[in-house]
Amino acid sequence: MSFQFLLCLGTLFLLAGIGAPIAYAILISSLVYLFAAGQDIGLAGKVLMDGLYSSFVLLAVPLFIVAANIMNAGTISDRLLQFCIALVGRFRGGLGHVNIVASLIFSGMSGSAVADAAGIGKIIIEMMTKSGHYTRGYAAAITAASATIGPIIPPSIPMVLYALVSNTSIGYLFLGGIVPGLLMGAVLMGLNIWLSHRRNFALEQAVPLVELPRVTVNAFPALLMPAILLYGIYGGVTTPTEAAAVAAFYALILAGLFYRALSLRKLYEILVESARSSAAVGIVIGGALILNYIVASENIPTLMAAQLVGLDVHPLAFLITVNILLLLLGCVLDATTIILVIIPLFIPTCRELGIDLVHFGVVAVVNCMIGLITPPYGILLFVINAVTRIPLNEIIREIWPFLGVLLAALAALILFPGLVLWLPRAFGYAG
Amino acid sequence: MKQIAAGLKHTAQAIAAAMMAVMFLTFVLQIFIRYSARLEWLPDYVPFLEPTRFGWTLELCLVLWLWLVFWGNAFVVRESDHVRFDILYSRVSRRTRRIFVIVSGLCIAVGLAVSIEPTWAKFYILRLKKTATLSSLFGDGIRMRDLYVVYMLFLVAVSARYFWIVWQAFRHGVPDAPGPDERRPGE
Repeated sequence: MSFQFLLCLGTLFLLAGIGAPIAYAILISSLVYLFAAGQDIGLAGKVLMDGLYSSFVLLAVPLFIVAANIMNAGTISDRLLQFCIALVGRFRGGLGHVNIVASLIFSGMSGSAVADAAGIGKIIIEMMTKSGHYTRGYAAAITAASATIGPIIPPSIPMVLYALVSNTSIGYLFLGGIVPGLLMGAVLMGLNIWLSHRRNFALEQAVPLVELPRVTVNAFPALLMPAILLYGIYGGVTTPTEAAAVAAFYALILAGLFYRALSLRKLYEILVESARSSAAVGIVIGGALILNYIVASENIPTLMAAQLVGLDVHPLAFLITVNILLLLLGCVLDATTIILVIIPLFIPTCRELGIDLVHFGVVAVVNCMIGLITPPYGILLFVINAVTRIPLNEIIREIWPFLGVLLAALAALILFPGLVLWLPRAFGYAG
Repeated sequence: MKQIAAGLKHTAQAIAAAMMAVMFLTFVLQIFIRYSARLEWLPDYVPFLEPTRFGWTLELCLVLWLWLVFWGNAFVVRESDHVRFDILYSRVSRRTRRIFVIVSGLCIAVGLAVSIEPTWAKFYILRLKKTATLSSLFGDGIRMRDLYVVYMLFLVAVSARYFWIVWQAFRHGVPDAPGPDERRPGE
């Protein structure tokens, strides 16, 4: 590790530590690195621009953001929720199940956990607290926990980012997320059953079964979306990036023409809001590209791989260690930063140790999503706190059991790679 | 003065929204053309739909993405939209926070300002480089440097913005820590 690299890291930690935007902290520290190394500091801008300009997969990010915003604005989320209530609302802890099932379906349409929590999550928390059967903290905690499934089941923005840094196929990564996503839904539902019996949550008024067909028809076009997306990608109709555009287009048609819930004014606001979010995510991606360039020119991942291989680490031990490290980092860092900056450090070692990169990617993304609900820095907790005004300490008090079962699911995914790789292999993945 | 500022803000937002919309529509067009291209008889009736006319869609999307990111961060993204590590920041006293804002703001403002000239010099060679496909859309004069110019805009605007933030913090101090209520997709 060279002196200029230490200087770069020092600047980065200092600036980011005192609250500068991560992207600008990276940009400035890379300028420091180039200057100290006697290189042209204009190189930073060139690397950044070339990197963004050549990464076609990244175009999925703004499009998925648009799609999620349209779905949240255009009553698509509400209709899905009505359907889920009719389906699973009749059981004990019913609205808890509704919450999880809605997240599972919604995650097949949007690639973002925050969009899930802020859209469908907000509505269901209101329902749960209004029913008087659940505490505010429980409603918020189960919503936060189930929102983590959003980016595991395809489509998924974090997986697009991982595909970018690891050069793995997005198609197989997306497929690899399906079983883990369902597994997470299953363990959360199991916990909800157990807790609602133990705490004796009252039963909801069941929606009569005769209502079910009407509600289903009402939500059917929205329910078709995951199927359209998956068929588009795996039927070879669209690339995963284009699927994002199809999702946004379909959501637009549904909300605008079919449900007539979207005015032009609203659409304009959605576009501005999406542009703003995409730009904020985009600049972090850009920063990560420069930082990865520096890390690569310092040869750090390869050195690390050589060290670890020399130590004769068992692949499983390596995976577990990396995951513990990621969980700890997830308590204080943002998922985008971890995926773009930290994870690339481990990829050469994974290759050397023979760890499958699709398996590693899915596990790492699940890990980072769990990081979204780990206190003290869990973006999902903050988002729910912001949109519902439920105090953070009430949410955090209830989050622990959910965190526990999600960690158990993560452990299962680490120990049994088949859970992740079965579906990609069934579709011809050679790994 | 305030009206001019509000007008500029709205214009900047409208431009960003337009880039987003055009990017989205270009994608839809690209998918549509891929399928209409299979109908060999179609261009005979609708010459406009000749598939070879649409080679530029992918590169246009990339350009729009680039512009969206840097235009957006220069003029549309608010301070509270940024991804940041604020555990320390939200726990220190207001006085310390003011120092934090001034130090980090100065580093960003000065750093970006200093890099303006070398970056432009680095882009100089790109005045010769043609784009792969965009000349059919923007004419033969378009070069890579014209597309990368948005980064210069970004450097100037963000640098100026942070000088302003530092000045404000220096003159008036900083407001109370905002609640951690940022909403960001992408996670």
